[in-house]
Amino acid sequence: MAFALVLAACAACTDNPRGGASPEEDPVRQPTGVIATDPAASRGPAPETAGAVPGGTVTVFRQTALARLDPQRIYSFMGLSISQLYARRLTTFADDGSGKLTLVGDLAETPGTDVNGDCRTWEFRIKENVRFETGAPVTARDIAYGIARSFDLTLAGGPTYLQEWLSGTPQYDKAFDFEKDKAALPPGVEVPDDRTLRLRFPKAQCDLPFAAALPATAPVPAAADTGLDYDRAPVATGPYKIEGRTGDTELRLVRNPQWDPATDATRHQYPDRFTLAFGADPVAQTNRIMAAQGPDASAVSFDGVPPSLLSRVTGDPALDPRMLRSQTPRLTMLSINTRRVTDLSVRAALNRAVDRESLVKALGGAAVARPLTTLLPPSTIGWHAYDAYPKSAVDVAGAGELVLAHADDAEGQLAATSLATGLRAAGFTITTKAVPADNYLPEIQKADNPWDLYLDSWAPDWPSGAAVLPALYDGRSINAEGGNNGTSYLDARPLDAEFDRIQALPIDEQSPQWAALDEKIMREYAPVVPLYTELTCTIRGPSVGGLFVDSVFGSLAFVNAFVTP
Amino acid sequence: MSFRLRRFRSVLAAAAGALLLTLVAAAAPLIAAIYGAGPQDTFADDLDAYGMPYGIAGGVSTVHWLGLEPGLGRDLMIQIVYGLRTSLTVAAPAVLLATALGTVIGAVAGLLGGWVDALLTWLTDVAIALPLLLCAIAVIRPLELAFYGPRDAVPGTFRMTVLIGLFGALGWTGVARLVRGQVRALREREFVTAAVALGAGPGRILGREVLPHLGPPITAGAALLLPTFTSAGAALSFLGLGVLEPTPDLGRTIQRSLGYLQTDPAYVIFPGLALVLLVFVFTVLGESVRRAFDPGPGR
Repeated sequence: MAFALVLAACAACTDNPRGGASPEEDPVRQPTGVIATDPAASRGPAPETAGAVPGGTVTVFRQTALARLDPQRIYSFMGLSISQLYARRLTTFADDGSGKLTLVGDLAETPGTDVNGDCRTWEFRIKENVRFETGAPVTARDIAYGIARSFDLTLAGGPTYLQEWLSGTPQYDKAFDFEKDKAALPPGVEVPDDRTLRLRFPKAQCDLPFAAALPATAPVPAAADTGLDYDRAPVATGPYKIEGRTGDTELRLVRNPQWDPATDATRHQYPDRFTLAFGADPVAQTNRIMAAQGPDASAVSFDGVPPSLLSRVTGDPALDPRMLRSQTPRLTMLSINTRRVTDLSVRAALNRAVDRESLVKALGGAAVARPLTTLLPPSTIGWHAYDAYPKSAVDVAGAGELVLAHADDAEGQLAATSLATGLRAAGFTITTKAVPADNYLPEIQKADNPWDLYLDSWAPDWPSGAAVLPALYDGRSINAEGGNNGTSYLDARPLDAEFDRIQALPIDEQSPQWAALDEKIMREYAPVVPLYTELTCTIRGPSVGGLFVDSVFGSLAFVNAFVTP
Repeated sequence: MSFRLRRFRSVLAAAAGALLLTLVAAAAPLIAAIYGAGPQDTFADDLDAYGMPYGIAGGVSTVHWLGLEPGLGRDLMIQIVYGLRTSLTVAAPAVLLATALGTVIGAVAGLLGGWVDALLTWLTDVAIALPLLLCAIAVIRPLELAFYGPRDAVPGTFRMTVLIGLFGALGWTGVARLVRGQVRALREREFVTAAVALGAGPGRILGREVLPHLGPPITAGAALLLPTFTSAGAALSFLGLGVLEPTPDLGRTIQRSLGYLQTDPAYVIFPGLALVLLVFVFTVLGESVRRAFDPGPGR
């Protein structure tokens, strides 16, 4: 016993000197996004990755199994990353991991042609020599079929942009019944010949080339569609195909010999295989990759380094070249229920009073989150920094008692405790209310929820203000059950015209306008307290290279990955 | 009785330890006032950019004797002191409740025998078979919804009260079995037969003849329940079913600390030692009391 105590006491003798090396601030990565106008940018092969050699196996660790492989049903960060390896889509982002983004044609020869210049009719010409893993050529019909099956509510789970835009209504399943006639095409989808896909929209959809980069536009051969079972073995078009899986513990991808690098502007086929290994928690993942024994030497953690291990990992200079750190577009904000907190001065006071620094420290510090004062994440094209409500003493008269709801899991309790402490210190009367974590999101997404403040987050699907501001703050999409995707339930008529005006602009003119609208909404309505953007901070084994954090979702990108022997 | 207890030095040591821990828990607000940090006070300035405490062993200093919690930056010693208070506030009333229930049920079953005994024995078996975790899941959230509106804060004492009820309702079985066995043995003794022959009813026999002999086994059973409930409460917090933030709790603190084993071992060791000490002291106390009352040879 005494021995154990001495041992314990010695183990506890860690020293963390004040004024020691503080982490370097990762520079804000400001993407410069363009849509490729030169068709040559959409042609393959992709430029070689420096130092890349063929062969080897890349292992990807994640705690929970990848739920879905069906390209029309994918919406998780890992699904979006991994599907790049086996599912090609109409367009995709050529990304160098430093923010230089170019939207290029993937299966299509260009990232879409706006036929009449009004963003209502878009045409895609399908490349030659793009084939399924079976050897069959990919036709416009296969892509149209993929779009058609996404109208089926039993195959739900994926994004709904195309379905809603084509049918002009959020109840798109009423506009097109896929089950009734699987050979029919949804409204607005036309296939004049095998290599042409035309999409007609009732309203201008200038963001279409971005939306077409989601895996929902991946082709599906109608004959191979087994409905819900297609999830197990989607037919590959990318450089890798699914070899098999072992329950919920392992998923194996092997090279797809039918993939032609000359048709692909963004992907490579360096490793022999990818193994996705599920089950180990982030602490175990990090420890295994640090130890780098056997196959772990070419492994990477998808979940990232947990906050509890950050000081160890970042404190070891030898590990520094193996760290992958970058901002992500994922936003977390304290939503203010504008139906209850109707006084703008109270909402402004909340913005002035919030203690973002303490919150970020509570969540793991400078390596996992960065304080934010804007509605758009810094990864948005055209973003500009501003702080409408700098921290200052506030007058809380008239605020009354505010109820802050939070999920009752460990992280929810931690964040709410930190926020409430900061707001109370500024003089607010805050009641915290724990909501069961599994029920938290559905509850705050009810427009008539009884709380004043709650944590909410959002991850835009492409780096444009159009994927954030109208999605969260357009009051016209609030309906009886709930809302738009935002939970502040801001319903401001003067903004309607602004949303419509900017969305109808040509895509390259939109960016500065969204940034201006961001600041306008904050200054005139303050519907939320922006809190932080997440940062990706993960570690790779010493023999895997070419990995980077993508500029669109802030997840690991595997298209350039290679293994050195 | 008392002179036999005194013969065990371990009893005295354990009793002193238990008394000390109880005093610390009871005087937590006083300790916080003298020490100069409350359970909700955060010291974010003493954390580095990663949320880790500056200084040695998780920020141990003359101001923060056991350092700070990483992340929130609350004083760890005050969290432990208040955590002890939460643990004991749940465990002690739960022990009283479980012991009272067990004594009544066991005595009635043992004294009356027959179908009452069969029924109560069956009930005991059912209570033993009920898993604490499932009951906690089934009871805690519905009760919260029943008693508190959607905007009302649920005070930490509510969850503590529910836990007391839960432990009481499921923890009486050991005492009941012990008491039933003792009562059945006592029932056949001459003095009880004599009382029955003199015309005493079951109430009088239970109160005047049987119960006075049950003191030692009940005390021992109760003393052993305390550490059981303490660790069960910590385990429930561990699973997110116990007491929530911002009410300090040892189990939850330990759960959160485990991830920091490699980076801030002091954060794991201090609350861990506190829980070990708490359970150890009361286990030794219970075991000593049991042995002191044990009439068998070989002491």
